[in-house]
Amino acid sequence: MGMSKYIAQRLLFTLFVVLGISILIFFITHIVGNPVDIMLPLQATDAERLALTQALGLDRPILEQLWTFLSDFAVGDFGMSWWQNRPCMEVIMDRLPISMWLILLASIISVVCAIPLGIVAAYRPGSALDRVVTIFSTAGICFPPFWIGLMLMLIFAVKLGWLPTSGMGTWKHLVLPAVTISFRPMGHLAQIVRFEMIQQLNALYAVTARAKGVTEMSLLFKHALKNIMTASLTMIGNDYCKQLGGLSAAVEVVFGFAGFGHLISETIENMDFPLLQAEVFFVAIIVCLINLLTDILYAAFDPRIRY
Amino acid sequence: MKKHLSILLVCILVFGLLAAGCGSKPASTAPATTAPATTAPAEAKTDIVIALQGEPTTLDPQFPDDGNMRVVTWQVFEPLFKIDAATLQAVPCLATEAKVVDDSTWQFPIREGVKWHDGTPFTAEDAAYSINRIIDPAFGSQILSDVSTITGAKVGDDGKSIIVSTNGADPILLKRLTKLDMVQKAFYEGKKTEEVTKLAMGTGPYVFKSWEQGKQIEVEAFADYWGDKPVITKGTFRFIEEPVTRLFALKTNEINVAVNMYPEYAADMPKIFTEVGLETYWVRFNQFAGVMKDKNVRLAANYALDLQGLSDALFLGYAAPCQGQMGRAGYFGYNDSLSDYGYDPAKAAELLKTAGYNGEEVELLSERGRWLKDGELTEAIAAQLAEAGFNVTTKFVSWNEWLDTLFDKAKTPDMQYSSTSNEFFDMDRTYSALVASSGTQAGLNNPEYDKIIADARIEMDPVKREQMYKDLAAKLHDDPFAMYLLVLNDLHGGSENLNWAPRQDSRIYLSEMSFS
Repeated sequence: MGMSKYIAQRLLFTLFVVLGISILIFFITHIVGNPVDIMLPLQATDAERLALTQALGLDRPILEQLWTFLSDFAVGDFGMSWWQNRPCMEVIMDRLPISMWLILLASIISVVCAIPLGIVAAYRPGSALDRVVTIFSTAGICFPPFWIGLMLMLIFAVKLGWLPTSGMGTWKHLVLPAVTISFRPMGHLAQIVRFEMIQQLNALYAVTARAKGVTEMSLLFKHALKNIMTASLTMIGNDYCKQLGGLSAAVEVVFGFAGFGHLISETIENMDFPLLQAEVFFVAIIVCLINLLTDILYAAFDPRIRY
Repeated sequence: MKKHLSILLVCILVFGLLAAGCGSKPASTAPATTAPATTAPAEAKTDIVIALQGEPTTLDPQFPDDGNMRVVTWQVFEPLFKIDAATLQAVPCLATEAKVVDDSTWQFPIREGVKWHDGTPFTAEDAAYSINRIIDPAFGSQILSDVSTITGAKVGDDGKSIIVSTNGADPILLKRLTKLDMVQKAFYEGKKTEEVTKLAMGTGPYVFKSWEQGKQIEVEAFADYWGDKPVITKGTFRFIEEPVTRLFALKTNEINVAVNMYPEYAADMPKIFTEVGLETYWVRFNQFAGVMKDKNVRLAANYALDLQGLSDALFLGYAAPCQGQMGRAGYFGYNDSLSDYGYDPAKAAELLKTAGYNGEEVELLSERGRWLKDGELTEAIAAQLAEAGFNVTTKFVSWNEWLDTLFDKAKTPDMQYSSTSNEFFDMDRTYSALVASSGTQAGLNNPEYDKIIADARIEMDPVKREQMYKDLAAKLHDDPFAMYLLVLNDLHGGSENLNWAPRQDSRIYLSEMSFS
């Protein structure tokens, strides 16, 4: 099968996934509660509640609502956000790109730090250095990101005054949130790299290479590193998707960063069905595309993989 | 081929890195968030940065029920009447006086010499348009219930006043008008609210300048303002949801005011600004069915609570115990002669015995996170009720489920923790929502109370009306419809050199701030 055919197949599959997720999210959002109660003040009268229910079309049969929802989606109309009272597309475009950059930056930081850490740990398994790396990577995974964020803020913004505590606008505002987000993927990736590298360094080809006089550096960087890339790529892509899908919300809230994760949490709080459906749609598309990109990259590192 | 692909991938990665750098670069050229406006250090600062809890959803003051937006629109827009912070009564703002034509008709002369921020004069036509815009059901205002007695407005024959009609006598119309900001007809007419989301054209002391999504909103002093010129000439509103971050930003001087802080952070704030607030915490009793139908059981619950102890332990004193009734001193109809039940677990136990209570299970339903310390307070109340002899089960539910049980009378639990605010400072608002059987949150059906509330609602003699509420408060003290808990303080943090006295009506005006 050619690469282009494979990509076309995957894109078609993506469409089905997105459609399925959209229908699922439609039903989930419609059974969790009444958005009208949330949108109106507590003292609003029953007549006002009824009027808003009708205005939002929530009094219509659910299948009719589903049909309207799907037919609007099919033509790219995500409707109006109930909470923000402006087009969902506009709300998402205000928040999604900045989060994609932030999480990309966090991913780069995590890759740049995790790969050397994992290699160093794998090179002398059981050594003190290995233990330090293991503790550091486990801490990165276990410590809650909001706590890490607050600690970094306390040190670098309040005590040292090097960076702003919060907000958006300059590169300085990106540093602390990006570093905070990078801790978890860094921990995951360092452990994967360590595990995979130990396997590679003990593999038969490595023994043969050493016997043939290949230097350790050459073995590490020319051969072994390339072989650990498939597992690492999976992890990097996976973590990026998780962060974009809402895991970054706590960090964005702590740093007053108006990103996509923050938006998802606000949307759920306000029970804004159309906006939530649009957000899920975008996350599903991005996750599918990143998975596709990861698959394509596999082929670059592993010649056995062909599509 | 493989080698070329590797090189290509490296190039993509490098490009990605560069692009990431570029992505943040344009923002770095934007003006600094907290650039100091003053050049002469000897002079007092005239620009201020305020951190809100979240970003406003819009700047159309007539559309949403959005507390973050209000702090911005209070600077830019003005109503016909505003609340006097000392007396909590409605006083003229863009209207000069209120004339009662008949029970359902009022005339309001419009203040002359007032200008919109585009320099054009504020007219009676603008005022009538503003009222008719918000009451139009098609507009879909989320604060329609605040002005729902108004049926229409038109320009008076003199061309300098407006005639406002109501659906009957409405003694609190002027207070309703304090929530109805005036908008310019020429600017807003024909536009849907989504078209004016990020625009604002008012008459207030500050002109809306810019809104950088996610980052900040800026306002500047209006040179042609009709009232006193403010000292602060530039205001910036930032959006920081997390209170610890607001505290840190305050400590690093990135912001000058951090609104709505937690009591725990008060000691770390450079300067504390506090005033009694609008929120009253209460627990609704279900008088339709179950053990709470018995008056003695309801009284026992109130005697079982150590309100001052709860305030001190959970709110570090930044909350005042209710005095045996809802609300606080200063509200119209508040009964000053009543007092706190007093913490008396022995009396509570005795009342339970009188009621023949035999340890039947009582459910206390609550939620977490909507109001400050709501979960903790619920747990503390449950513990004190248990000490007095109640067999209490606490149940925490999601906000949606909580709302469902609040509004659906068939699902009313024995006790439900809640909070209510009273922006009209008038007991009508509290009693008609929480006590009258038609009230959306009422847990009782008492024709006697219904009649008092209905009669008071149309009583135009303020002395008589006030007495009606005071009498009702006394009845509800002897036969409580709720556990009357605490009135929360507003608590804000500010820079050490900030001069500001927070208002009793909780409104925040930059024009009332200055720096030493």
